[in-house]
Amino acid sequence: MHSPELLKGTLQTILLKVLKDNGRMYGYEITQLVKELSAERILLTEGALYPTLHKLEAEGMLKTEVVTIGKRVRKYYSLTPEGRSLVKERVNELIAFIKTMGNVLQVELN
Amino acid sequence: MFMQLTNDHIAYIIKDLNYRGIVADGIQEELIDHICSGVETEMSKGKKFIDAYHHILKSFGNTSGLQETQQEIIKSENQKTKIMFRNYLTIALRNLRKHSFYTAINVAGLSIGIAVCFIIMLFVINEVSYDKHFNKADQIYRIQSEIKFGGNHYFMTYTPSPLASTLVTDFPEVEASTRFRERGSYLVKRFDDNIKEDHVIWTDSSFFKIFDLPMIAGNAVTALKEPNSIAISERTAKKYFPNENALGQTLILDNKMNMKITAVYQDVPVNSHFHFDILIALAGLDEAQKPVWYSNNFQTYMLLRQDASIPDLETKIKGLVDKHVIPQITELLGSDFTAEKFAEAENKIEYKLQPLLDIHLKSSLQGEFEPNFDIAYVYLFVAIALFILTIACINFMNLSTARSANRAKEVGIRKVMGSFRSHLMRQFLSESILLSIFSFALAFGIAYLLLPMFNQLSDRQLSIPTGMPILYGILFLAALLVGLLAGIYPAFFLSAFNPANVLKGNVSLGMKSGLIRSSLVVFQFTVSIFLVIGTLAVNRQLNYIQNKKLGFNKDQVIVVEDAYALGDKRVIFKDEIMRTGKMSSATISGYLPVSGTWRNDNPWWVEGRDQAAQDNLVSLQNWQADYDYIKTLGMHIKEGRDFSLAFPSDSSAVILNEAAVKSFNFEGEVIGSKIATFGNNAQGGPDKEHLQTLTVVGVVENFHFESLKQNVTPVMIFLSERPSGNISFRFESNDAQAIIILLETKWKEMAPGQPFTYSFLDESFGRMYFSETRLSKVFTVFASLAILIACLGLFALTSFTAEQRTKEIGIRKVLGASVSSIMLLLSKEFGKLILIAFALAAPLAWYGIDWWLKDYTYKTEIGVGLYLMAGVVAFLIAWLTMSFQSFKAASNDPVKSLRSE
Repeated sequence: MHSPELLKGTLQTILLKVLKDNGRMYGYEITQLVKELSAERILLTEGALYPTLHKLEAEGMLKTEVVTIGKRVRKYYSLTPEGRSLVKERVNELIAFIKTMGNVLQVELN
Repeated sequence: MFMQLTNDHIAYIIKDLNYRGIVADGIQEELIDHICSGVETEMSKGKKFIDAYHHILKSFGNTSGLQETQQEIIKSENQKTKIMFRNYLTIALRNLRKHSFYTAINVAGLSIGIAVCFIIMLFVINEVSYDKHFNKADQIYRIQSEIKFGGNHYFMTYTPSPLASTLVTDFPEVEASTRFRERGSYLVKRFDDNIKEDHVIWTDSSFFKIFDLPMIAGNAVTALKEPNSIAISERTAKKYFPNENALGQTLILDNKMNMKITAVYQDVPVNSHFHFDILIALAGLDEAQKPVWYSNNFQTYMLLRQDASIPDLETKIKGLVDKHVIPQITELLGSDFTAEKFAEAENKIEYKLQPLLDIHLKSSLQGEFEPNFDIAYVYLFVAIALFILTIACINFMNLSTARSANRAKEVGIRKVMGSFRSHLMRQFLSESILLSIFSFALAFGIAYLLLPMFNQLSDRQLSIPTGMPILYGILFLAALLVGLLAGIYPAFFLSAFNPANVLKGNVSLGMKSGLIRSSLVVFQFTVSIFLVIGTLAVNRQLNYIQNKKLGFNKDQVIVVEDAYALGDKRVIFKDEIMRTGKMSSATISGYLPVSGTWRNDNPWWVEGRDQAAQDNLVSLQNWQADYDYIKTLGMHIKEGRDFSLAFPSDSSAVILNEAAVKSFNFEGEVIGSKIATFGNNAQGGPDKEHLQTLTVVGVVENFHFESLKQNVTPVMIFLSERPSGNISFRFESNDAQAIIILLETKWKEMAPGQPFTYSFLDESFGRMYFSETRLSKVFTVFASLAILIACLGLFALTSFTAEQRTKEIGIRKVLGASVSSIMLLLSKEFGKLILIAFALAAPLAWYGIDWWLKDYTYKTEIGVGLYLMAGVVAFLIAWLTMSFQSFKAASNDPVKSLRSE
């Protein structure tokens, strides 16, 4: 399992990309999906996930939709047009970063 | 196998999370869903609910982790001001929606209050704009005269005819001056059919120099120079010359004067103190050319230079009185008359300057062209409007603070999570501002709908200047301001909560912290009760005036106006109508005991006394009438007899009213005494050589002929050989329509082409009290609105208290309390407040009514009963409002309210 420290800077990018690929999702669904994609090596903690989601929402990158299911209220997140245009930029940035890290650490990435 | 959580499970989770302090709006629900989803997954793997739940909680980091998450979320949301602002708005909207009942009450109250304020502001702006449209309005002055002579004291617009021209020639600071002479309405025709025109005035050609009305046709400099020339307004031109050029054409006035139109000017704007449609050149009036200084018949207006000093000019005008007026009076009355004696007898002839811009709001002299408004009422209206708005704002404050208990937890958590007090204040202010903006939008609509009604009430033509962008700006600013005012107290109050106390559960602040709230309720009801008392008092005075013994009988009298159109056939008309048997009597006279009919004031003295001694002169109304005058108008002879054909000598008989008898101070028997005045010479001026004498044959009971604001002044009635003016008929029939048709048919037959106009005496009488009637209506509307808004607030407050005390009521009922005792319990608290409000409002209202009534010579007694009635009315309305909610709460089944805890 990856350390949460390492994840910190990449959380926003992960969330944006996941939402871009899957349309609207709710918080728990995102944690489960990331868990699955990373073969249980990335576990998003709620304490990090929700503040980031709310921050992205507050910045206008995400929009939300509230659906009532019985006694529960489920909040779905999806990308706004601004958020959508941000995804590619962020992903490219991360890839470039990983490449740079490879150079710095003198390891071969495949 | 997927496990769906049961409702009980969910309820458990919600409660548990609440207990762990997850309460922030918008976060709570999301975390609940997340945890539920997690629990479901875990349970699908075969775990028991409680184990699954604890597993998930652990992944959050238990209670501390949960709270940290909540705090993180709040922090991340609050990072940017813009974002924060949006957040405030979202939460505000959410809160308002959640408590839609209170929101509705607030919005209803506020929007009514704002609509009233808005309309009144429009009205006030209109009132202060009068006459400002004239280019040099601030340099235009009118001469007002104060004359105290022969026991009378006048404040008038009337001045001597030569004054205007003398001002211009003698004093360099007077740039121009113009005179007006009113001679009533005129019958105007182009070809055959006459139309009655009311707004007709004689004036000098310099009129356009002072009042720069834009010209449609003609030249302002040359217009009105020649005798028999007139200038007419655009609408008059369109009326008589549709699709034609009116300039140079001729109109015939009163069937005899052929008048050439020398100018057409744009209609005088509505917000002016006169609205003349036809100006007749004074060059054609003999009276205007004579250098007579002792009679005052002309209004004088002048345009001053910018650097003119008003006090200096007034002193100079005083010099004119000594130079021109006093010598002429001396000549008239004989050499005994001197300025010193005149002043010694406390007599006075004084001319002062009155700014044009003061006329509409600060002037009510004799001889105003149109009734003006009173600035005191402008202030009163503004005060009432502000009061109503305040009442509405108080509703908002009270409801917000009353509901504070419900929001205390939110405040506590927010503070614990790191909100500053300023954040919270901004949060609460944004709620109130949002509400205020919404109310303003609604108020705009209400005002739009109510304006026609208000226009009718206030006799104005106001409209909302929808095309003005600045209006919306002002409205928006006002919305912010009102929102700020209404929200500032709750914001302070709520944000001051100590989180430790609040979260511990010490939030019994709901009703007990109510000192301020109570005083606000007291304030609301003080204002409301004050307005109710005011309304009742104005109505009572009006009633008193309408039903007071007037000294004549105003009912069942129809007045045919402008009888001069009948020419010499007046008497024949009267006689032929009498012959139909439909009328009980008829009289021809222009002098009637209602305002707006003829008046004529001249000095008389008791024959034999020295007329030059000013004490002997009695200035009184000289009314020409005919034999049936007193009978038709239902006046009462107190002493002596009415005029009678049986006495040929009655052509020199006079009937005095009681006031006149008192003023003359006869020695010996009144009946048979003689009074005298100067006869008329060939030029129509007074002739000192020939005295005219009349013998008193009767005394008539005092009758009111002007507004009851004034005392009854002396009147003498004598016979005229050729009476004219109006023909009044007293009729018995209840079918007024048939009477009108009868008169009109005869009129058309005898005066073809002349307009038939009539009025009922009681209606003319009612018009004298137009402003009182209006005041009473306005007061009624305002008082009802104030009470309505205050009661809306009370309604919400009671329902809130009832809600808070549901459990208490339940327990009381279980222990045997009756519905009525619980209703009493709930109403008692506010009942007390209303009593206090009454105690405060009564003396204030007493003072206000006293102030208003001091203008009236004849006033009704305002007894304690009226105050009590107002108190009872206010109390009943408030109690009914409260009892609805109280009853609902008290009749609730205690099982329901106590079942869950």
